[in-house]
Amino acid sequence: MVAVCFYFQVHQPFRLRKYSIFDIGQNSDYFDEKKNSEIIRKVASKCYLPTNKILLDLIKNNDGKFKVSFSISGVALEQFERYAPEVLHSFRELAKTGCVEFLNETYFHSLSYLFDKEEFSQQVKMHRDKIKDLFGQEAKAFRNTELVYNNELANFVQGMGYNAIVAEGADHILGWRSPNFIYTPKAVGSMKLLLKNYRLSDDIAFRFSNKGWSEHPLSVEKYASWISDVNGNGNVVNLFMDYETFGEHQWEDTGIFEFLKRLPAEVMKNPDNSFVTISEAATLYPSVAEMDMHSFVSWADVERDLSAWLGNPLQNSAARELYKLGRLVKATDDKALISDWRKLTTSDHFYYMCIKWFSDGDVHKYFNPYDSPYEGFISFMNALNDIAIRVREIANKDVSVFNHVKALTLVTEQGTSMSQGKVCESPAEKLYETIMNDPESFMSKINSSKADDSDSLFDQK
Amino acid sequence: MKVLMLGWEFPPYFAGGVGMVCYHLTRALCQQGVDITYVMPFGPTMVRSDYMKILIADNLFPRLRLQLKEVPTLLGAYTSESSYEHDFKQYLMSSSPGGRTKALYGPNVFQEALLFAEKVKLIAQLEDFDVIHAHDHWTFPAAVAAKKATGKPLVVHVHITEFDKTGGNGVDQRIYDMERQGMEAADLVIVVSNFIKNRLMQNYGVPEWKIRVVYNAAEPTTDLNDYTCKIKETDKVVLFIGRVTLQKGPDYFVEAAKKVLHFDPNVKFVLAGTGDMLPRLIERAAQLGMADRFIFPGFVNRDEVMRLNKIADVFVMPSVSEPFGLVPLEAMAQETPAIISKQSGVSEVLEHVLKVDFWDVNDIANKILAVLHYGALNNQLKQHGLVEVRNMTWDKPASSCVTIYGELLRMKR
Repeated sequence: MVAVCFYFQVHQPFRLRKYSIFDIGQNSDYFDEKKNSEIIRKVASKCYLPTNKILLDLIKNNDGKFKVSFSISGVALEQFERYAPEVLHSFRELAKTGCVEFLNETYFHSLSYLFDKEEFSQQVKMHRDKIKDLFGQEAKAFRNTELVYNNELANFVQGMGYNAIVAEGADHILGWRSPNFIYTPKAVGSMKLLLKNYRLSDDIAFRFSNKGWSEHPLSVEKYASWISDVNGNGNVVNLFMDYETFGEHQWEDTGIFEFLKRLPAEVMKNPDNSFVTISEAATLYPSVAEMDMHSFVSWADVERDLSAWLGNPLQNSAARELYKLGRLVKATDDKALISDWRKLTTSDHFYYMCIKWFSDGDVHKYFNPYDSPYEGFISFMNALNDIAIRVREIANKDVSVFNHVKALTLVTEQGTSMSQGKVCESPAEKLYETIMNDPESFMSKINSSKADDSDSLFDQK
Repeated sequence: MKVLMLGWEFPPYFAGGVGMVCYHLTRALCQQGVDITYVMPFGPTMVRSDYMKILIADNLFPRLRLQLKEVPTLLGAYTSESSYEHDFKQYLMSSSPGGRTKALYGPNVFQEALLFAEKVKLIAQLEDFDVIHAHDHWTFPAAVAAKKATGKPLVVHVHITEFDKTGGNGVDQRIYDMERQGMEAADLVIVVSNFIKNRLMQNYGVPEWKIRVVYNAAEPTTDLNDYTCKIKETDKVVLFIGRVTLQKGPDYFVEAAKKVLHFDPNVKFVLAGTGDMLPRLIERAAQLGMADRFIFPGFVNRDEVMRLNKIADVFVMPSVSEPFGLVPLEAMAQETPAIISKQSGVSEVLEHVLKVDFWDVNDIANKILAVLHYGALNNQLKQHGLVEVRNMTWDKPASSCVTIYGELLRMKR
């Protein structure tokens, strides 16, 4: 008996626009509304809508035997609501069939677990509420951003009430063991761990249209036979991939839609085969062993580690400064400000700052809305500086916020700011300094910069 | 492989980057076993003697298997008609005290190019070589003549065009014709960037199949270690080096400075170089109240360029039109982050720099401030920029040229 467990990741970040130093203190429109809406509409018509239609038909035509799981980030859902409500509608249709499971993750598709566990819990709760609200499901299975995972994380997530979790079936962790069984995270009790079969997943997600691949073109018969081969040597084949594989990464003319349409029937020609959701797999099959994953593992790049997001000093510095500001931002209780800050926690912003140019660097470039990783870093840091100013402005108006922020600064390690001007390397530390010292001169600096910006080259000519 | 190479300038005396390119390229080619006969016209008299003396004294060229042939002319890299006339007068005045006037080949620079061609035609018939390789348009008539006389294949190497020098305004028809005739007669055309390739396709009607892009490389420089200076104690330094002309965009540098100072008053701007726009820009800087924030050192020599690059915190090349652009490479070699115009050939090859549109003064200022204030960005650009420049060695363009010579010989058969 072998069950195929499809889990599709749906995610779209709020991409930043080119936010310059001259925008700081002037406006807080960090996000590229135009580009984001265009991308959502484009991917909706190329991938989400046609693929959802195919899945709905497959579920109806197979008497409920065909099943899939999704994890849709909160920021993607929010953008569907805003720019393409018909996509949301089609996911709801899928939810109604009872054959589709929706997992939980961090609402903002963030790496918050690595920096701030309290923030992580809040983002997971936001996502749980959103999924329940939209699809009427209380999720019991969890996936962390980019399949970032280790023992401790599994333990933490179990404490939040989840009983299944997914991770990458990386070779250096599995060794001789197979990803086609269910495991238990080390020292975590009853939770089930499902590991991605990256070979069979990547055959579809990455290699499907690769003419240099010896198995190209990939027929459903051949692929279904590989699945059947697992019989006797595994319980479940975990096919985890970006949903955008269908129609966006692999274009329609590669035959990817035909492949998907014909695959379930071909797989089920073998009476030993079936389809399951993540939670069903976790319930149906016993754990065969404890899996010790001490270091963080992810599903990105050849390294399968955190280096795609936190692999160079730019990324590390931007992430550190972002999370340093977090508690101060939340102290303001300002909904719009907190939401803007949280949108900056989306992991994609750090992915754009990656400078691993070779091999995987190409994949990074493909997804990067900026000309270079440096552009991404500059816009991100400029936005952080503006967020610090907004905290300051709110604190200036409201004594209770001021005292709250001040209390936080007293227990925080003080550092020196690199800058004497108004942009700086560490907006959080700058904020500590100004809030402790003289707020008036700080505010007057911001105001004066608003008045005197007319002397540009173009006015002169 | 034997190459007859035609050029108009060669170090230590040269007007622009092309002289340096010729030097490094010929050196690397010789190391790859190519035999070069480099033919160039005389420079103006005051240049000539020094030039020759150094060549003879150095004994550099026999070792590199490079022979230097000389033909008298007054041609220089950026010669316009008026500056030619100036040189011509200087040349006459510098005539030897014995009253014997030196041989002159013509009353103006265009005729000079044609006379150079006559000379080269003779040299070509005496020399033994397989292909002709000509640098920039003043040598093109000579290159065409050499090809006609010998039937040997010709490749012309375009480092810049008349359109880039003039910004498209006031293109000299005679120069354009000279450029175009050279490109048409050539079997292949080497260009230093896609930027120039597109220019040749759009403005000169050169078919794409005929063009080969060969990027320049970086000059090896010595590291000045922790050389520093007094201004650095109080200020950060933002640097521009280049001819102060329309093409190099120095005016955008000045406008960006104003915006930078608004955010951070502790910055000094060094605008090094000379050119027709310099007086106007000094005035403009004063008008904007930045007189104390600007340093105009005028023309700087090689050694001063290195020192300026070393002390600078960020280097800016806001060129309006830059066929390649070697200057940012020199800055990066001194571990100075570079901001370069997207309208440059070098931006096609560099990754670890910040790129701007020359006209986007806000973005230039934005990036200057980001480099000055975001330490992680600064370090990353320094470290990776240095590695990137060190990997840009001259053996790469040289082997591209060798491949192209091979192509030429196959085409001939």
